Amino acid sequence: MLPLVSLTLFLPLVGAVLILCLPKPATRTVHVIAIITAALTLIGALSMWFQGASGAGFSQVEELQWIPAIGAAYRVGVDGISLPLVLLSAVLFLVAVIYTSSLRERPRAYIALVLLLETASIGTFTALDGILFYVFFEVSLVSMYFMIAGWGHEDRQRAALMFFIYTLLGSLPLLLAILGLYLGSPEPTFDMRAWIENPPLEGAAAMWALIAMLITFAVKIPAVPLHTWLPAAHVQAPTVGSVILAGVMLKFGTYGLVRFALQMTPDAFREAGVVVLILGVVSALYGAFAALAQSDLKRLVAYTSVNHMGYVIVGVAVAAITLDPSVRTVALDGAVLQMFSHGLVTGALFLLVGMIQDRAHTREMGELGGLLKTVPMLGWTFVLAAFASLGLPGLAHFPAEFQIFLATLSASPAAVVVILGIAIIAGTFLKALRETFLGEPRQRWQSMPDLSAREWLAVGPLLVLTVGTGVAPSWVLGIIHRTTSALAL
Amino acid sequence: MARDLALLIPEIAVLLTAVGALIAEMLRRPQIALLVAVSGLIVATGLTVSLIGEDTTVFGGSFRVDELSVWAKLILLPATILAIFLARVDVRGTVREGTVYSLLCFATIGALVLAGAGDTMFLVLGTLLTGLATFALVAYPDTDPATEAAMKFFVFASVTGAIMIFGLSYWFGAAGSTLLADLPGMDTMPMAVLLGFVAVVVGLGYKASLVPFHFWAPDAYEGGPLSIAAYLSVVPKIGALFALAQVVRDLPPESGWTAIIAGLAVLTMTYGYLAALAQTNVIRLLAYSSIAQSGYFLLGILAVGASELALPSIILFAAAYAAMNLGAFAVAASTGRTLNDFDGLGRAQPLIGLAMVIFLLSLVGIPPLAGFVGKFLLFAAVIDVQYTWVAVVAIINSVLSLAVYLRLVVPMYRQGNVVVARTDIWLKAVLIIALTATLLLGVFAQVFVGPFA
Repeated sequence: MLPLVSLTLFLPLVGAVLILCLPKPATRTVHVIAIITAALTLIGALSMWFQGASGAGFSQVEELQWIPAIGAAYRVGVDGISLPLVLLSAVLFLVAVIYTSSLRERPRAYIALVLLLETASIGTFTALDGILFYVFFEVSLVSMYFMIAGWGHEDRQRAALMFFIYTLLGSLPLLLAILGLYLGSPEPTFDMRAWIENPPLEGAAAMWALIAMLITFAVKIPAVPLHTWLPAAHVQAPTVGSVILAGVMLKFGTYGLVRFALQMTPDAFREAGVVVLILGVVSALYGAFAALAQSDLKRLVAYTSVNHMGYVIVGVAVAAITLDPSVRTVALDGAVLQMFSHGLVTGALFLLVGMIQDRAHTREMGELGGLLKTVPMLGWTFVLAAFASLGLPGLAHFPAEFQIFLATLSASPAAVVVILGIAIIAGTFLKALRETFLGEPRQRWQSMPDLSAREWLAVGPLLVLTVGTGVAPSWVLGIIHRTTSALAL
Repeated sequence: MARDLALLIPEIAVLLTAVGALIAEMLRRPQIALLVAVSGLIVATGLTVSLIGEDTTVFGGSFRVDELSVWAKLILLPATILAIFLARVDVRGTVREGTVYSLLCFATIGALVLAGAGDTMFLVLGTLLTGLATFALVAYPDTDPATEAAMKFFVFASVTGAIMIFGLSYWFGAAGSTLLADLPGMDTMPMAVLLGFVAVVVGLGYKASLVPFHFWAPDAYEGGPLSIAAYLSVVPKIGALFALAQVVRDLPPESGWTAIIAGLAVLTMTYGYLAALAQTNVIRLLAYSSIAQSGYFLLGILAVGASELALPSIILFAAAYAAMNLGAFAVAASTGRTLNDFDGLGRAQPLIGLAMVIFLLSLVGIPPLAGFVGKFLLFAAVIDVQYTWVAVVAIINSVLSLAVYLRLVVPMYRQGNVVVARTDIWLKAVLIIALTATLLLGVFAQVFVGPFA
């Protein structure tokens, strides 16, 4: 029996080391190795996907002793919540390295960082040990810092620094929570399965641990008011950095919200559920309004992420509050599917914005215009991705948001005001489409080339998956549902 | 007697090494002195391995052969070897080259005596032994700054040493014995316990550069040779901190010593990093960073006696700290002493740049590097004894430290002047060993934690 999870997890790291060890490799070689590595990783993720996950608990668990004296071990495994996210990461990293294969500036270090980040991301989703989770969680931070600081845009140093300090400050409370869970366990262990099965903390201690986790994950998600690092980081990050940041790394926050906050301190979460729910509603609405106010296309997409992640928070909070297991299942199904869909759609949008920027060297919507006529293929793909993002039925976000709203309606009807966010986001994107793509083509952009084969390869798979998930969500939902319906809280 | 000597074989080996190096120097053969010092220390390290798992005392309880003392040897002897490599770069071809190697070995014996101290007199002996050897080392270049630095160092040492001896007289009076193991007998005299403890903290705190006894450290580091700064920031410091752990093991818990240590820990970490933020000289920055790191050790000391995690966490963090700090100093030795010297280092010398980034991130405590594993256990230990607020302060300081260390990292990846980094074979050796240890210590953490928990 192959250790599939570990293989998938460490393949990118092996690729990164290989690239760093080659003496003066040609740029082309570096990109070829990167694409092969990412493709193999995707194959690994797909095999994990087809192995599937049993209903309750974790499947495909691999375990190796590390520090038995304190109950820490290398433990990885998946369930229906993490499996879609692993697949999403593998897909996004593959399209990211395909997109980046035109990079000429210090490609070796950049690709090594991207691949390191891939290991960290898959590791975060598959770790079943508290320390291991934290390790991957933080490693992702470091690689993203260097990606922004080294290859970002004009004001990258400041943005990178802000990102690093903000999220490090944000993630340290989680360390305290992990230590609290460890010291609270009847038999000291860092095994997350044990923490989930038998939540070690109760009463005030659990509430403190929950507060610490909420701070960490609210920064990562990001939830208002801890979101201010996000626009700065996105605007300065290189395109691939944005794709991964929004597509994969924001999910660390929401995944942690489910895995840690909901599963390890369920009673405290139930008590604090209303607060989290309000946080989610405010976040979703604020993100939508802020997106409406942007004139920079990339900032706009960044703020729609705040909105979409807000729905996920709402879904998880509803799952915590409700006493009806069937409602909880619907809410969690929606929340997990929303993470998956958001990765696909926002990944595509950031790629497309990056392509526009590569051509026009601006992201100001006022300066663009009429692009649908100059570059029809790029234009129509953007339109498709934008419609997906605003929740059009038949595209990826719809089934997810629909389930979240449905559960919200039956658990805490007042929170359904969050649905307004959809209308605002729709307005945002329609305005963006009008300014950027409609109207008469401008003289300046006459010679703009349309999508190249490389760009098709990058954005195409995401759009296919977006439509696929929208039309027939059951291929993802099946796996999610099996776990969420067996969840005992 | 024979049994006692057998248990002291590593110390005896180091002593013979120091003497051997001195003899080679008298014959004006610095290369041989180097060879003797390095091979002697390797042999001493090898001899220590068989002592792992011992928990006993020798010479009537006055010297301890326990996990602290054994691991001190396993950490400090290799660290001394690395410091000797760095020193080789600094002093090669100077008049008294061999004395440097010999003095480094003598100072290390002092640190080992401290780490195994079972008697208050050994505390005095250890501080004197390390002190005398290191004053001479700081003054070695015979320049004005070096002489001034050595003078400050010396005056500070004399005053703090005197205070410590004065305070120890209270313990002797109250307990009727100089053995640390007899300290619990003083529990009826809380004032004497506390006075003596404050004095010990002054004496050992100076050696470990705890705030407010740290003032000598940045000057001595900056004035003396860089290799000696690297040595001072690791070997005597770890020796003194281990000695502090030996002392508090036997202190009556009700005497309130934990509050003193908690306050010092918070003060040392916070002041160290705040002061480091203002430095433009890399050596001074690393000096303040090493002051702040001492504060993290105190977290583990705070938990000694009450948490099973305390000793393993101190030992593991000591090993991590030795590796990453020596590594950072080695990069500074190859690059330069001001922040400007680091401009563009990462672009001109990608591998040295990468190594420096790893050392600095490990000092911050970013996983999966050695510094993280050490700090993680320290936090766990201190939370285990209900001092959660100290852990919170330590965690906030970790964020502050990121700002400190990024001040070095950011210029390294700027488009800068072409850096001419020295890549001596000795420097390379130090870099490779320190880097390997920083990367892999975490994976093998069980080795450090295993036997005790």
